[in-house]
Amino acid sequence: MFKKVLIANRGEIALRINRACRELGVKTVAIFSEPDRESLHVRHANEAFCVGPGPAARSYLSIPNIISTALITHCDAVHPGYGFLAENARFAQICADHGLAFIGPPAEVIATMGDKATAKRVMREAKVETTPGTDILESVDKARRAARDLGYPVLLKATAGGGGKGMRVVAGPDQLERAFNSAQNEAEASFKDGRLYMEKLIVSPRHIEVQVLGDNFGSIVLLGERDCSVQKPSHQKLIEEAPAANLSDKARQSLLAMALRAAQAVHYSNAGTLEFLVSGDRVYFMEMNTRIQVEHPVTEMVYNIDLVKEQIRIAAGEPLGYTQADLKPRGHAIECRINAEDASNNFAPAAGTVTNVVFPGGPGIRVDTHIYSGATVPPYYDSLLAKIVAFGETREAAIARMERALRETVIEGVNTTVAQCLEVLATDAFIKGRYTIDFLPGLMRRDDAA
Amino acid sequence: MPGNNVVERVRALVQTFLETDLVRLRIERDGGHVELRRRASSRLATAETAEPQTQGPPAENLDEIKSDLVGIFRFSRPAPVIGELLDADRELAYVEALGIRNPVRSLGSGRLVSVCCDDGQPVEYGQTLFEVARV
Repeated sequence: MFKKVLIANRGEIALRINRACRELGVKTVAIFSEPDRESLHVRHANEAFCVGPGPAARSYLSIPNIISTALITHCDAVHPGYGFLAENARFAQICADHGLAFIGPPAEVIATMGDKATAKRVMREAKVETTPGTDILESVDKARRAARDLGYPVLLKATAGGGGKGMRVVAGPDQLERAFNSAQNEAEASFKDGRLYMEKLIVSPRHIEVQVLGDNFGSIVLLGERDCSVQKPSHQKLIEEAPAANLSDKARQSLLAMALRAAQAVHYSNAGTLEFLVSGDRVYFMEMNTRIQVEHPVTEMVYNIDLVKEQIRIAAGEPLGYTQADLKPRGHAIECRINAEDASNNFAPAAGTVTNVVFPGGPGIRVDTHIYSGATVPPYYDSLLAKIVAFGETREAAIARMERALRETVIEGVNTTVAQCLEVLATDAFIKGRYTIDFLPGLMRRDDAA
Repeated sequence: MPGNNVVERVRALVQTFLETDLVRLRIERDGGHVELRRRASSRLATAETAEPQTQGPPAENLDEIKSDLVGIFRFSRPAPVIGELLDADRELAYVEALGIRNPVRSLGSGRLVSVCCDDGQPVEYGQTLFEVARV
């Protein structure tokens, strides 16, 4: 096992990793930017180093300062969390070059699956069904021809993309040029890679993903699916649940079979997530995230497994030690993302100082957060404040528990998504478990019209 | 013209800078920055604006020299001594990061008031390494 791990992240995931390390008897080194000096992840780590000023490009993305911190503090591994450098193959390779274990898959797997167009090609070769689409489109003209062949509506996507950045729905030819240029600019600004590809738009699908874990000895297990269809218009997730409600046996079987084939095709090791679009019984591979997901706690709740500890164990060279047959899910879990956002203003991020916080508790409730009364929410980073997770023996019990937990929650000083989550939970569509990725944008339009 | 506008603004900034006792001024805006540093000779050049010496010793401005990266702090040779009068571009130390020695300079003349790190000590971004009185 590792002796000391550098946590190359901030916020709730940095705390989450710190907790896993502590329980494994592994010492931790936190990194932080100047505005994060008072953050909880800094206080809880064994050591902490400031790596730069507020803007992420000069702190949490500063590879030289992060690697230097790991080396001078004698770390033997780096956990990237999610976001920032988590899916940066170059960073994973630099870690390896400096004798630091990267807690994630090998750099070449990150590179293959991180390039969305390449990943789709590899998946097609592995007989994993993908949405009909193209390779990289070098120009608007090529995009125009591709869209004509695929048939509108189509979706333009950034090959380096994620979190809905660089993605545009194009309903007809008159929208194409403008969508292409704005997606390209956004992708260039977000990922320094403006390359785009195109997919046939699957109308009103569900977004369902499968959690995989693989060790360095070729063993791969699946930890079921998560339904992440409650998404903002920007495609960022707001509520996730495991298992997916009202998923046909046929769809679930093909989802799991494809996920296993996909993970085996790239000899996947460590934790990863395969994202699919599901329409009726049809399942299409969308992309793979080669890291821990924000929503990993819902899987942990139903499988009673600590995915972050598993990541660390696997990176340290330990075998999984169990097989698929040993994994038995139980009950239902729902996660609500509490973001510092103004839901009435299209979820615009809201920085500021949290003046008062009361989080829920009681049976079946888990809260992963880094905020406290007096904590500042800097404007530079993701707006996630907390993840509230509710577990129940049934989906109905989990919903009731989540509703109770959200009503107990008090966060003052910044706008949050608590009320929006409560509104979703109360809808007929959510209660019946019959919703798609169009559900939340539709609910918002209805609210605006009212 | 926009170019002339920038030149005028920088010219006004330099004039304002020269009218103060500041040794260094850095302004960041919209991803760009302007940094003005006073060299020993420039103080002489602006002697006409300085207070007459008969009014007592000039006031000291304490300036912190900070690390702009993470690494191991080491003194340059000869190691600086507290009280030493520093040249404008004296190399005081270096921060070693990923095998590269990144020099730490005096950033203007002055008197070394304090040394805030030990040789071989790990330092973080923004950590104060030296304090220099700009006289």
